[in-house]
Amino acid sequence: MTFSFGKSLCRLILPLVFLLVVAACNRNSGSADGKTFRVNLGTEPPSLDWSLATDHVSFNVIANLMVGLAEFDKTLKPAPVIAKSWDVVDGGKRIIFHLREDATWSDGKKVVAGDFEFSWKRLLDPKTASEYSYTLFDIVNAEEYNHGKITDDKEVGVSALDDTTLEVRLKNPAPYFLSLMTFEVTFPQRRDAVEKYGSKWTEPDNIVTNGPFLLSSWKHENEIRLKANPNFFLGKPAIDNVEMMMVNEMTTALALYEQGQLDFLDNHSIPILEKPRLAKAQGFQHVPQLRGEYYGFAVNKKPFDDVRVRKAFAMAIDRNFLPSLLRGGEQAATSWIPPGMLAYNAKIGLPYNPPEARRLLREAGYPEGKGFPAVTLIYNTLDDKKTVAEAVQGMWKRNLGVLVRLENLEWKVYLKRLQNDPPAIFRAGWGADYPDPDNFIKLFASYSPQNYSRWKNSRYDQLLEQAAREMNEQKRVRLYNDAQKILCEVDVPIVPLFSTSESTLLNPHYTGLEYNSMGRLVLRNVKARSEK
Amino acid sequence: MAPFLIKRLLHGVAVLWVVATLTFALLRLLPGGPFDRDRRLPPEVMANIEAKYHLNEPFLAQYARYIRGIAAGDLGPSYKYIDRTVADVVRDTLPPSMFLGIFALALALAVSLPLGVAAAAWHDRWIDRACTTMATLGISLPNFILGAVLIWIFSLKLGWFQAARWGSPGSAVLPAITLGAMPCAQLTYLLRSSMLETLGEDFIRTARAKGVREALVLFKHALRNSLIPVLTLLGPLFAILVAGSFVIEYVFAIPGMGRFFITAVTDRDYPLVMGVTLVYTAILVCANLAVDMLYSVVDPRVRTR
Repeated sequence: MTFSFGKSLCRLILPLVFLLVVAACNRNSGSADGKTFRVNLGTEPPSLDWSLATDHVSFNVIANLMVGLAEFDKTLKPAPVIAKSWDVVDGGKRIIFHLREDATWSDGKKVVAGDFEFSWKRLLDPKTASEYSYTLFDIVNAEEYNHGKITDDKEVGVSALDDTTLEVRLKNPAPYFLSLMTFEVTFPQRRDAVEKYGSKWTEPDNIVTNGPFLLSSWKHENEIRLKANPNFFLGKPAIDNVEMMMVNEMTTALALYEQGQLDFLDNHSIPILEKPRLAKAQGFQHVPQLRGEYYGFAVNKKPFDDVRVRKAFAMAIDRNFLPSLLRGGEQAATSWIPPGMLAYNAKIGLPYNPPEARRLLREAGYPEGKGFPAVTLIYNTLDDKKTVAEAVQGMWKRNLGVLVRLENLEWKVYLKRLQNDPPAIFRAGWGADYPDPDNFIKLFASYSPQNYSRWKNSRYDQLLEQAAREMNEQKRVRLYNDAQKILCEVDVPIVPLFSTSESTLLNPHYTGLEYNSMGRLVLRNVKARSEK
Repeated sequence: MAPFLIKRLLHGVAVLWVVATLTFALLRLLPGGPFDRDRRLPPEVMANIEAKYHLNEPFLAQYARYIRGIAAGDLGPSYKYIDRTVADVVRDTLPPSMFLGIFALALALAVSLPLGVAAAAWHDRWIDRACTTMATLGISLPNFILGAVLIWIFSLKLGWFQAARWGSPGSAVLPAITLGAMPCAQLTYLLRSSMLETLGEDFIRTARAKGVREALVLFKHALRNSLIPVLTLLGPLFAILVAGSFVIEYVFAIPGMGRFFITAVTDRDYPLVMGVTLVYTAILVCANLAVDMLYSVVDPRVRTR
């Protein structure tokens, strides 16, 4: 063998030098052109099939490809989109949706009531194994069909009476059911596309959509491109293209924004340490979310089986201090239903009151915390959860004389621990699937799988059921107030801490972007500022 | 050569089977399942999902199903990326990782070979000290720091490269430098010490006594005989680099396979973890086989039987 090291080296180095030169010539030219809007998704959407998607990344793409019967108005009430109107009849047990006739799919076919019937029954089909199938369990026989107790989908209470009329029969009146029509999992689907392409029906060449944008390309783990739908029945969007990048690392995403390569960042792309600096930047804002954080107590275990101990721990937390620590626009809370939602009531809940907390703890047999057993607070491993836990640990030590041990766990380990054997105190949170108090308050019903405290109160359950069937809004609010008082003042299985916000950063050249309190990114009204 | 190859390939299949079995068993021991969410599902809904993915079957039945699948070339569905199979994910993400890994390795070799030779040739002089200092830096500097520094200098300050955006011209340069820095340092160190050893051998002294030019002594006689340890390292290094790096892919937003070594575990996406582990093992087996074959090319004393 002849060995020519010099030649080999040249073969290696020359292409590298060439590449470097090409790259060096590639100066950043990304500035707002008014036609292409670039956002960061952060990660690959796990699924664009709205019967199977479960995460906000997927829903943020789907929300720009699709529309359903209704969408949120500014007050988070359902407003008609594909439905031009609806009738709630039979005391709320039957809803008739009347569809508009000009809504079309991306291939030009009309959106018909049968597309909704197919989508909903697919969501409920046990073979689909949709995680969100339970959202439609208020429909007659929906739960039975999903659990395999009946096999004929014709028995499920949803049917297309004709192309423009969809009838839904409910087991009981459900005032929140119309809110569900804004949730992507209830959007229509085309049977022909789903059946023809199977699990690949969401790929760009196969998917059929009806929203303001069309899926033009999907480079997995890299970027998704959308283009404006010229035939969207509510009007073509002002921007022609959307590029959705999947930059996971926050500092890299921020660098791209500052280089002019991205036009919008949400909370998942803004490093916490950069927020004070960015807060002064044009286009930065905090968007309050329908999402709450709380600490729960294991009410069946000592010492938190004593309500006085639970109240003492709740009253020893200065919740107003936490937002100043997190600096993300959080809002301190003593009640559970978050601001912006029906039945939000800031007056409910136990206030910060250290003397009263000490008195209650003394009464429970632990004066100045003496003799208090060793207890642990668990939280999932994230910086902000740790910050809050350490702050609250300090408050309990200072105000009650109790040192609570902190334990952070990897996400899935933490979830398993909550489900199987929750410790004395645990951190948890909840974000709304649909903007109705039912979605929040039901978490702590005795039968709820999310009720990690194992707390049971039949009066509370009864109030929730009554509220869920009550069609009069004022009466509903009163019922929810009563339920919240039991939850946050009387039995106190949980201590609400704060409701969260999303920090967002929008290129000031653009306007019209909607980032709502459900964390949905709506781009159809985005336009360059110069456009009228 | 053919019996050797067949023997090694059979050995590789056995390694893959052991890795598949161990990974399968260890994953099942991890607390938490793929469909555990903060939104805890009603038991019947969870039962539908478990039935869809055969997670309701006994452990051994799941194992048998999985091994049968691998034998038929089916790595199974991803639990996280619901619309895609593990084969889809690997098909989409392995090419960027391979491209970047090969680029980084080429870069590392292009830099480390002359540096290693120079450091040995001018042993204990300033060139040697400069090379070893650079190599120490390359080994000790974490690649996420190096990546961030490169982005800050070349993207934010000089504007030569975009901070991310795979596929744009030059998008592989900063990640390749970051990825290649540590192997480059390792190879430089290794080659330097190997060269020093070789340069003390009798045949080098003989060559010099015969008046052979120093460049020829270094590059023809000494380098060739010093490459064995470098080749030994190259096998696993190649596998590590082309299978992708979580940190590099994270920092530079590269759509590669490396991220799944971490994220698929945290997601408890069992088939994806096993898929990427098997791909990595297969690459490692092939790379080591290639290295074994190269030994005989570089050094005639080594004979494969």
